[in-house]
Amino acid sequence: MAPTPAQSKKPLGKALVIGGCGFLGHHIVNLIHSSYDAQISVIDLRTTNNRRPDSDGVQYFDGDITSLSSLIPLFEKIRPDVVFHTASPNLMGSSKEMYKKVNVDGTKCVIEACQKTGVKALVYTSSASIISDNATDLINADERWPVIRGKMQTEYYSETKAEAESLAIAANRAEAAPKLLTAAIRPAAIFGSGDVQLIPRVLDVYYQNKSGFQLGDNTNLFDFTHVDNVAHGHILAAVALLQTSTLTTPPLDHEKVDGEAFFITNDAPVYFWDFSRALWKAAGNTKGTEHVWVISKDMGLMIGGAMEWINWVLGKTPKLTIKQVKYSCMTRYYSIGKAKMRLGYSPIVSLEEGIRSAVQWYETERMKEGEKKSQ
Amino acid sequence: MVAVKTLAYLLVHPNQLRAIIQWKVWHDPVHSRNPEKESPTLRSCFKFLDMTSRSFSSVIQELTPELLVPVALFYLVLRGLDTIEDDMTIALDEKEPLLRNFDQILDKDGWTFDRNGPNEKDRELLVHFDDIITEFKLIKPAYQAIIKDITTKMGNGMADYANNAEHNVNGVNTIKDYELYCHYVAGLVGDGLTRLFVESQLANPALLKRPELSESMGQFLQKTNIIRDIREDYDDKRRFWPKEIWSKHVTKFDDLFDPNHRTEALTCSSEMVLNSLKHAEECLFYLAGLKEQSVFNFAAIPQVMAIATLELVFQNPDIFTKNVKITKGDACQLMMECSQNLRTVCDIFKRYAQRIHKKNSPKDPNFLAISLECAKIEQFIESIYPSQDPKVLSLIAASQGGPVVDEKTKAEQAAANKDVMYLAFAVIATLGLISVLMIGAAWLAGARFDIAFAELRKGIFAPKTGEEAAAVVAQHDHGEL
Repeated sequence: MAPTPAQSKKPLGKALVIGGCGFLGHHIVNLIHSSYDAQISVIDLRTTNNRRPDSDGVQYFDGDITSLSSLIPLFEKIRPDVVFHTASPNLMGSSKEMYKKVNVDGTKCVIEACQKTGVKALVYTSSASIISDNATDLINADERWPVIRGKMQTEYYSETKAEAESLAIAANRAEAAPKLLTAAIRPAAIFGSGDVQLIPRVLDVYYQNKSGFQLGDNTNLFDFTHVDNVAHGHILAAVALLQTSTLTTPPLDHEKVDGEAFFITNDAPVYFWDFSRALWKAAGNTKGTEHVWVISKDMGLMIGGAMEWINWVLGKTPKLTIKQVKYSCMTRYYSIGKAKMRLGYSPIVSLEEGIRSAVQWYETERMKEGEKKSQ
Repeated sequence: MVAVKTLAYLLVHPNQLRAIIQWKVWHDPVHSRNPEKESPTLRSCFKFLDMTSRSFSSVIQELTPELLVPVALFYLVLRGLDTIEDDMTIALDEKEPLLRNFDQILDKDGWTFDRNGPNEKDRELLVHFDDIITEFKLIKPAYQAIIKDITTKMGNGMADYANNAEHNVNGVNTIKDYELYCHYVAGLVGDGLTRLFVESQLANPALLKRPELSESMGQFLQKTNIIRDIREDYDDKRRFWPKEIWSKHVTKFDDLFDPNHRTEALTCSSEMVLNSLKHAEECLFYLAGLKEQSVFNFAAIPQVMAIATLELVFQNPDIFTKNVKITKGDACQLMMECSQNLRTVCDIFKRYAQRIHKKNSPKDPNFLAISLECAKIEQFIESIYPSQDPKVLSLIAASQGGPVVDEKTKAEQAAANKDVMYLAFAVIATLGLISVLMIGAAWLAGARFDIAFAELRKGIFAPKTGEEAAAVVAQHDHGEL
């Protein structure tokens, strides 16, 4: 993206990005820095990664969102107009306690800090997974679909994200601070540079020469969203909230952004395996699909189940799980009409370009790793 | 010879034969014309319609009486124009004024034209063009005005191309040129038909405010035909595939037909298919604006044939060596399916989009773009006919326990669970009994299980044989000594 010329930059006031050194957070920082007129601050647990050079004027603060007493002094010092709350443990590999502590308790603290220091707008990073029960298809789903909670929600991560989203939305024009406006962004399967989950996992399959398998018939559509588009959606929501906060009368229902949640995708659903194949292709794969061994969903579930049992007996982690089989055979795509209408959102990075740049980034990372190892 | 081949084909493809028979026997036109009440000149017009078009003639003749004659004449007028443009035996200085002023010919009673070359297949139409002019004057003035306007625009467009020496030698250069050409020969037809439909109040007037929709209707048909006819056009020394596209894959246009460049030719055709596929959504959108059944069928049938043709030519090397066409059986099947409503047309589009996706290969430079285009068609159809209802999903979520299960299924499930338990018990009991019998038989025969267990406890899993085994037994029996 070419940097926007200074005079046409939209004002965003004092913007605070919580989790601004994380995967999504640092892209929000970058996008604000390149395209908006704002004073940027970041709060993160550790602020050593993904830092902008000091000359850019971004202020970094170490802070723990699960401790209100750690947050309040920072908020008082920064005095933000807009807060982006992106901090969350990764989808894989954290404990239940951790999800609860960071996603739910942490969000409570962030909301309280916003309310106590006169913040005008809070944009919460939710997740598109909160309307999925991880088994049923989601076909062109939009914001009218129910949030899946409790017993039906088999993914604890999503349960805590849903809980936190409802807290953030409830804080909109709440009694404690009627001036605070909030919105939630629900991104679907984020990928891009700095990605520690999706891109590495998919590309490692290719590097390990395991691209010859396909689970399911590959007719299921899936949304994958480039991180810059997710960042763009967040900032558009913040701009809209700031705009609303200057109005004396509340906006019409069909224009409302405050107190609302929005799905954000690349607006380009794609057949599940075609996304992986496009990534492998960008990484240099020249093979077609002639060598691919298609494992039907039922067969996959059987093998997955057997693997889980055998590995349970042996005390190892299985290479294929029932969860993975279900995930790769599921239809899961969204309609983002609401974000288009109310936020004026449209993707700024196409899926094709996003894939190209993400692969380029990951290959550079791998090269750096390789150099480190050989030293 | 051809008939024998067709017959043989149908005998081994009973589904195709069935579709043809069903169409011939059960197809009930919404409207059909009544030749007995027609004037001799009008009958002559329909004779020429049959003669000049096999694919459009039947759908036109099933149109509602209000539009039957205007649309038939519209077709014949444009066909007349085309017959002049196509004929390379007519000198340019004679051709150009004819093309540019063809709309005025429609006012000239008794005008005929016999200077077409003897090989021009539709020359008869122009020899008897006075019949068309006679009938043209009888239709509503509003319809006349629309047909004349389109004739002027198309005639001028054709004259521009006839004048363009570069185009005639090297074919179409850019994608923009390609789409402009398709606009003149097909987009304009879409525009004219839409105006006729709206004028007769059989289509939603909003279609006039979205001209890109009718344009897409024409572009989709024309582009698909241009892809399919690549070989035929090449043999006739015509090139419609734009250089901007083919030059990405091959260095010379002729390479497309060289078996040594088949892979490149196929990736080139994929890009052409992708370019055409982009119109599919707008075509479906357009069809949603048609109210009357015969008008809907008239517009939908060619579109459905086009998506099926697109699937047929996609990744099909035959297009570079011969004429490819959807089979008669498939055509009948499609006509039957689509002459119902938008929903069935959407089903067909979805089916063919999925088939194109299935044939799509990561080796293709446009792999992702094609995949996304197919997905987009699916998503668009889903937005018109959603398969999930958020209200129902909300009810299920609210009831918490997952899908609502009634008492009967619960009882059935309980019974099924019991059955599984009994079955498992029976299996285990049988296995147990057999084991007891076998072990017992072995024991009676003198097997030393006590030694085997002792050995196992020591961690020795491989049984010993011969003298070694005898030593173990001796050791075991006299161990305490």
